[in-house]
Amino acid sequence: MKKEARKIIALGLALAMATGVLTGCRFGFASDPDDPNGEVEEEPIDTSVDTFEYDGSLEGTSITLLNSKAEIQVALEKMSVEFEERSGVHVEVMPVTDGDSPYTKVVSLYNSGNPPTLSILDTTDVIALAKEKAEDLSGEEWIGEADGYLTEVDGKVYSFPLCIEGRGIIYNKKAIEETLGEDFDPASITTLGEFEALLNRLAEAGMEKPLSLAKEDWSLGAHHLQFIYETYDGTSEGAQEAIEKIKAGDLDLASYGRLEEFIDTFDVLKTYNVAGKDPLGADYDEMAIDLADGKTAFWFNGNWAWPNLSEAGADNGDEYGFLPYFMNNDEKDFVNGQIQASPSKQVMIDGQMSSEKERAAAKEFLNWIVYSEIGQQMLAKTCNIIPPFANNPYEPGDPLSRDIYEKVHAGETFNASAIVPNDHWSILGAAMQKYLAGRSDREELTDSIQQYWDEQK
Amino acid sequence: MKSKSNGKDFCIFALPGLFCFVAVVIIPFVYGVYLTLTDWDGVSQVKNFVGLANFAGVAKDAQFWTSLLLTFKYVVFVVVIVNVLAFAIAYLLTRGMKGQNFFRAGFFTPNLIGGIVLGYIWQFVFSRVFVNIGESTGWGLFEVSWLSDPSKAFAALVLVSVWQLSGYMILIYVAGFMGLNEDVMEAASIDGASGWVKMKNIVLPLMMSSVTICLFLTLSRAFMVYDVNLSLTAGAPYGTTEMAAMHVYEKAFTSRQFGLGQAEALILFIIVACISGLQVYLTKKKEVQA
Repeated sequence: MKKEARKIIALGLALAMATGVLTGCRFGFASDPDDPNGEVEEEPIDTSVDTFEYDGSLEGTSITLLNSKAEIQVALEKMSVEFEERSGVHVEVMPVTDGDSPYTKVVSLYNSGNPPTLSILDTTDVIALAKEKAEDLSGEEWIGEADGYLTEVDGKVYSFPLCIEGRGIIYNKKAIEETLGEDFDPASITTLGEFEALLNRLAEAGMEKPLSLAKEDWSLGAHHLQFIYETYDGTSEGAQEAIEKIKAGDLDLASYGRLEEFIDTFDVLKTYNVAGKDPLGADYDEMAIDLADGKTAFWFNGNWAWPNLSEAGADNGDEYGFLPYFMNNDEKDFVNGQIQASPSKQVMIDGQMSSEKERAAAKEFLNWIVYSEIGQQMLAKTCNIIPPFANNPYEPGDPLSRDIYEKVHAGETFNASAIVPNDHWSILGAAMQKYLAGRSDREELTDSIQQYWDEQK
Repeated sequence: MKSKSNGKDFCIFALPGLFCFVAVVIIPFVYGVYLTLTDWDGVSQVKNFVGLANFAGVAKDAQFWTSLLLTFKYVVFVVVIVNVLAFAIAYLLTRGMKGQNFFRAGFFTPNLIGGIVLGYIWQFVFSRVFVNIGESTGWGLFEVSWLSDPSKAFAALVLVSVWQLSGYMILIYVAGFMGLNEDVMEAASIDGASGWVKMKNIVLPLMMSSVTICLFLTLSRAFMVYDVNLSLTAGAPYGTTEMAAMHVYEKAFTSRQFGLGQAEALILFIIVACISGLQVYLTKKKEVQA
């Protein structure tokens, strides 16, 4: 009897220790979901005006939406509630769980015979699935509103561009001004040389390493490296041409100017990297905290980084923005004056297994996002994304998206996105990590890229 | 009469189980073998028959062989350390020391935490806690994150796996030690055997059945490691800690070469099956009855 009691106590203690371990690990993380102060403020939506015409015959239809953009999951659920209230169509929003890739998820759903009616996917995924699975959307009305942001496969449009995303060097204006003791005008930096001089001045003024560089392979392999294709001439067609030429051996990487310039830029970023001693030990959450706290002034990332910054204490009223990914000292070169911004997430409608009615309901949902006053507001304000549709008058609320939004409208962006094979980011991301850690040189990096493309033939 | 009731018994008792086994193990396995002969990308409706081209592709995939070699290295470290450690701790915990039940429960706890969670906890420990300790004490060993150096990241993987697996093995060894016949032990002591001699000639042979189970479990688990690999290092730094199972997954889903990935999985399966089979055969031969 006594032994039993001891066993129970032992088990209880073990469990207590286990929970201690589990909760203890939260210490030091940037975000605390239970912290009321950490909640992101949301702009109210005006629902008084709605001129959208709903198709009454669709009432009672139920469709599914696979969402691969985790940060808008809650917003999408809210949109679905609003939409159902008005149209009678139920949209079930399914998240892609952490650790699953969107493509894997959608493929497994197709293979189990239960594909989502709508899926939010990356452009490469849509291209892979388009011809066999997707509904042809070439005849949709919103095509006219998204000029320049459509993805075509064999001359047909199979997907709906959900948002524009841009990337570059994020700056914290306040941190720069406090360190230098003078006003900072982002437009005054127009070349790599000027940017390097600024970094140097910051270092001399006490901010020794003013820049954060993520070590994640998706950041290095996709967001950094893809500049070598996207800056070929600043268009998606040009990026495609560059890739075809590299594949065919017509473009020698060893003497390709953009690659050389890219590595030059990357070297500058590397030099001023705050995690310079251990670049592969850099922590993503910590980078957001460093930038928000003013320990660093720059972070290479995209406008999707706002939730991280906001959790780290940045406020919608703070002055954050983007500098271009400078690549040389030619002021007239577009890369030194423009930010890369292009549609990144696409919505595809299943054209294979869904019923006529479900497809019609899915199309209505997309039209509602583009044309109804409520859908427009929710896309920009609730989801906080940059709408690619010319008729949407609403602006996103956070400083990063607003900066991209303003630059898009001022013509200070270039719309180029390279379509690369799906494992590009992971395989060449590893090659970039090796270079970042200083364990390979220019030549080896160039060889890895060349080898990768040779294998794609 | 007899054969008739046998048929009925078979239908009642074996058929449901057999049906499940065939449905979830045999059919997927055969289908998987069939996939190795196609160029399927995981989603398209047409699967072109390509013969043995995928196996030729495996031979050419240098990264696969590197990851397989790394897996072997990992298996050797994990199997040896886990079993030696678990055996030693189990031995100590069955000698009637104070609070041994508490320790048994304590050592077993890591095994209750899922591999993914465990990996994330340790990732935090390696990249934040250790680095902080290194910064404040100046110990060179902890100054940079273990996970950013290829050999230290590998050591971290082994360490975490050992931490997780040994608790389970301790449990099996403890059961083995408890089952040892006191009479035999006493007889051995009276005959003058003590310490190492008793361990080698009496305890070890009698413990062989536990050793068979533990070796089999650690071998197969270590070969198939994926969850800890994914959450602790995810192949980082620059793909140097990518084990075979993870490489197979990446090939199939990230590179979208299902046939090739499946062929690699089949090769991995054959290797693991052969090695585990051989191990069970060899250790079984050494088992004795008291």
